[in-house]
Amino acid sequence: MKAKRKFKRSDLMGWLIMLPSMILFAFFVWEPLLENIRLSLYSATRFQLEEFVGLANYTKVLRSPDFLDAFVNTFKYTFWSLVIGYLVPIILGILISETVHFRGLFRVGIYFPNIIPGLATIWIWSYFFMPGKNGVLNILLSKFGISPQIWLNNPKMTIPLIIVTMTWKAAGSTALIYMARISSISPDLYEAATIDGAGIWKRIRHITIPSIIPLASTLLIMQFISVFQILYEPMVLKNGGPNNASISLLMLMYRYGFRDFDFPAAAALSVMVCIILVILSGIYMKVTARKDDYA
Amino acid sequence: MRNKKLMKKVLCAALTAAMAVGCTVPVLAEEGEKVTVTLGIWPEDTLEDQIEMHEGFVERMKEIDPNVEFVPAYYKYATETFMPMVEAGNCPTIFESWFTETKKLIREGAVADITDELEARGWLDKMNPVIREQFSDENGRVYGIPRDAYALGLMCNVEVFEEAGLVNDDGTIQYPKTWDELAETAKTIKDKTGSAGLCLLAKDNAGGWHWSNIAWAFGATLVDENEDGTYTAHLDSEEAIAAMDYVKSLKWDYDVLTADPTSEDWGTGFTQLGTGGAAMYIGANDAINQPTEVNGLPVDKVALVPIPAGPGGQYLLQGGTPYMFSKDATPEEINAALDYLEVFGKAPSASEDAVAGWEADYSQKESVGCPVIPRFPCWTDQEIMDAEQAVIDAHSNVDMKLFQDYFDLVDTDALRTEEPGLTQDMYAEITKVLQEVMVNEDADTAALMATANENYQQILDDKFKAN
Amino acid sequence: MAWKKMKSKKDGAIRDYDMKSPRVRVLYICVVILCIAIVVTCIFPAVWVLLAGFKDIKEFNRNATIFPSSLDLSKLKKTWELLKFAKYYRNSAILVAGATVCAVIFNGLLAYGFAVLKPKGYKIAYGLVMWSLMIPATTSMVSLFRNINLLGLNQSFLPLWLMYGANAFWVVLFKEFFEGIPRDLVEAAKLDGCGPLQIFIRIMLPLSRSIIMVVAIFAVTAAWSEFLLPYLVLNGSGKETVMVKLFTFKDTPTDAVSVLRAVLFSIIPPTILFVIFQKQITDSAAAGAVKG
Repeated sequence: MKAKRKFKRSDLMGWLIMLPSMILFAFFVWEPLLENIRLSLYSATRFQLEEFVGLANYTKVLRSPDFLDAFVNTFKYTFWSLVIGYLVPIILGILISETVHFRGLFRVGIYFPNIIPGLATIWIWSYFFMPGKNGVLNILLSKFGISPQIWLNNPKMTIPLIIVTMTWKAAGSTALIYMARISSISPDLYEAATIDGAGIWKRIRHITIPSIIPLASTLLIMQFISVFQILYEPMVLKNGGPNNASISLLMLMYRYGFRDFDFPAAAALSVMVCIILVILSGIYMKVTARKDDYA
Repeated sequence: MRNKKLMKKVLCAALTAAMAVGCTVPVLAEEGEKVTVTLGIWPEDTLEDQIEMHEGFVERMKEIDPNVEFVPAYYKYATETFMPMVEAGNCPTIFESWFTETKKLIREGAVADITDELEARGWLDKMNPVIREQFSDENGRVYGIPRDAYALGLMCNVEVFEEAGLVNDDGTIQYPKTWDELAETAKTIKDKTGSAGLCLLAKDNAGGWHWSNIAWAFGATLVDENEDGTYTAHLDSEEAIAAMDYVKSLKWDYDVLTADPTSEDWGTGFTQLGTGGAAMYIGANDAINQPTEVNGLPVDKVALVPIPAGPGGQYLLQGGTPYMFSKDATPEEINAALDYLEVFGKAPSASEDAVAGWEADYSQKESVGCPVIPRFPCWTDQEIMDAEQAVIDAHSNVDMKLFQDYFDLVDTDALRTEEPGLTQDMYAEITKVLQEVMVNEDADTAALMATANENYQQILDDKFKAN
Repeated sequence: MAWKKMKSKKDGAIRDYDMKSPRVRVLYICVVILCIAIVVTCIFPAVWVLLAGFKDIKEFNRNATIFPSSLDLSKLKKTWELLKFAKYYRNSAILVAGATVCAVIFNGLLAYGFAVLKPKGYKIAYGLVMWSLMIPATTSMVSLFRNINLLGLNQSFLPLWLMYGANAFWVVLFKEFFEGIPRDLVEAAKLDGCGPLQIFIRIMLPLSRSIIMVVAIFAVTAAWSEFLLPYLVLNGSGKETVMVKLFTFKDTPTDAVSVLRAVLFSIIPPTILFVIFQKQITDSAAAGAVKG
């Protein structure tokens, strides 16, 4: 009996220690998510809720001319994010893992863009992508005799180039994660493969790549989620244009909330984004839970 | 035992921290008789001389009432930035907005009612009634006062015109009188100097704003206000499409625009003009410091001429800059801010302070190489306007020939106020079309304008129901 | 001979014994050259900002060159003073300091609960935290901003600091590390009569310097770069941080050169920090390889 009572007291103690942090999580993460649902069902003037309107805010958002553009763009962002943002770090990780010379420099060098604040990155690249002869990339191209390009102004290129910018910033840190995984591969595997007559390419394909696949699949969901975080990149670079070619869902939410003073519509859009994310995460967790069970 | 004490301490600290923050705001507000006024009308950081002038005004205000503290808080109005400031209580006590935004800000309850303060000062009756209506709600309460009005014109970089050989013997420039001529003139400039002929905006709403002036010249009326309180958009009219086709041809047939119109906004446009990146730019008299003082164009090298005429006539878009006040401002703060305007010479008053304010303002402009040209106050008191004009004349630093045609036209009925309805939303829709035609040579303007019209009509219908 | 260094190669598909083959040598050299090119790509934009900061606006707008005509430091100094960057630096420092402290204490305590104390029902809380890993905070920005205002926490650094105390990713980092600390130490301390909080302070924290360092580095970088909520809460209050200033350039007409110089100022502190702590920082990035 005594043991049981003591157990309870220590439980209470544990919860007490966790309580301040839990309150912070509640305030900054959980409550706003639920609050979004409530807000989205009301009409409001500024922050003051007025009356219950049911799903009217949702239909308003869905009917909005910009929503379809933003929704379609999300697929484009996802596609390019997988093609560029996801593969580049893997390739970087494998490449640098093959070097001995300057390895320290490479590690530091590729990580460097990571410490540059995201907003600064976007400002810098906005000058790189400037069309006309003064754009930095165009100046560089002109050294090779190539005529100035219009970069982001080509609506087909806007999203891929935004992803390039984001990849430039983020790829280094992910590549380091892959490198850490690759260097933990037992040398015996490579030696055994060599004895079996496997060339370098075969060793990469049959040893290096399979060993990073579990890690890569974990990072895949992160890559998906990061697409839904795209907000300020198109906002600062092209204000969502040209002609909505780069507007993202969150950017549309920002506009509802802070330009049109329409908090309920912004909340409705967030709820829809969250639903998509929860579904994605649910699928992911189902899939990975079977593979490895970490408790 | 000790850990219990520790735990207590931690919790206490957390609680007091939370409570302290909850309380700080009201506690501070109650302290003393001090009144704090944040000045959103403060000049932008890099304009040293203007800041110095305002510091002088603040000094003067200290003499008038030492209990008022003025805090610089430069704010340039933008639709996407205003609301967060209001909600977070960070809105400056006094700030500048746009004429097209006043009704919306009043409707949303984001600005303060200043009727009583104006009444007490006797300023209410001195306001131009049309403009006063613009600042009033349906009960006749007034929420703002005008700084001044502006009319869009065509600003020209005389240096580039000289380089292109487009100058007359008397120093005036051979500026285009019609939009067709503008295309030709721009082509000549581009061929001879390499500079763009015209800087067209297509990044944000300013693109739609400038374009609507072009559309009028082509005969378009973009929105009709119906009797039942609803609006009907006509963005897809033949004239509007012709105007869009025209700017499209500037890009693809004449190729006389800056490299990337979709990156140009109000500010970069003036940089292009001021640094010679472009020879012509649609700009208003109240922004004459932008190419010169801000971007370094010599004072005698800027000209302001009328917007070209088109098949539908010749119009100069007229708008204005209101002063508005934070919804959180107390009457004391509003009064202090109005006092400040008087010292700044922006009030309907020709008092000693106001004259000193003009003197400071125009001599500052003269000394930094900003053209001193007439402004369009929106007050009805002729005496005050004459008094200000006298100060302007005393500091004149430009050859008025470069401005005369523009000011002549301002006195006619070529002036046209912005389209009614949700003007900024209309500009946003038009800007999207501008972006498309600027990046896509094969863009179908008629279809794009039809979509824009449909979108804008829907926004209008959502907001205004027939009564 | 440079090839000797290959002996020290411990990972990757190319092994030292492959180096006898000239084909592999050429391949290896290609890989190294490619990596050098990548590193140049990574560093060039920052170098360019430095160079462009020395141009004046006319030069910037009309001359298609990479290098400025002069390297006059007084131009940078002038912009620094005009934009009053000292103030923004100070505000950013305040934000970063508070955020880092909150990040370590609150996430650490929660992870301690999950990893060591495991009070009854903790798995529910842990599940909730794990789920929030999946939903980016930006999506609930609107209602969070509303709550902050309704509670009167606007115009204050406090919500921005405390926000760093609720980061699921860092909780997981701490948790995995704490799980690696031998239970015996905890049990021994318990026998000595230490309460849970004492154990945390006396046993866990001293043993966790490396992970605290990692989280602190992440928090410093994140807090320095953060702008959206700081912008919403602080803009116009006189407490604007460096990033808030950078964000306001979006809607405020400012000449390109001033913007670039401001960008330059904004990347100097993290760069210095990076140069000093490069080893810890790159190691901590690799440590980010947590499951989930």
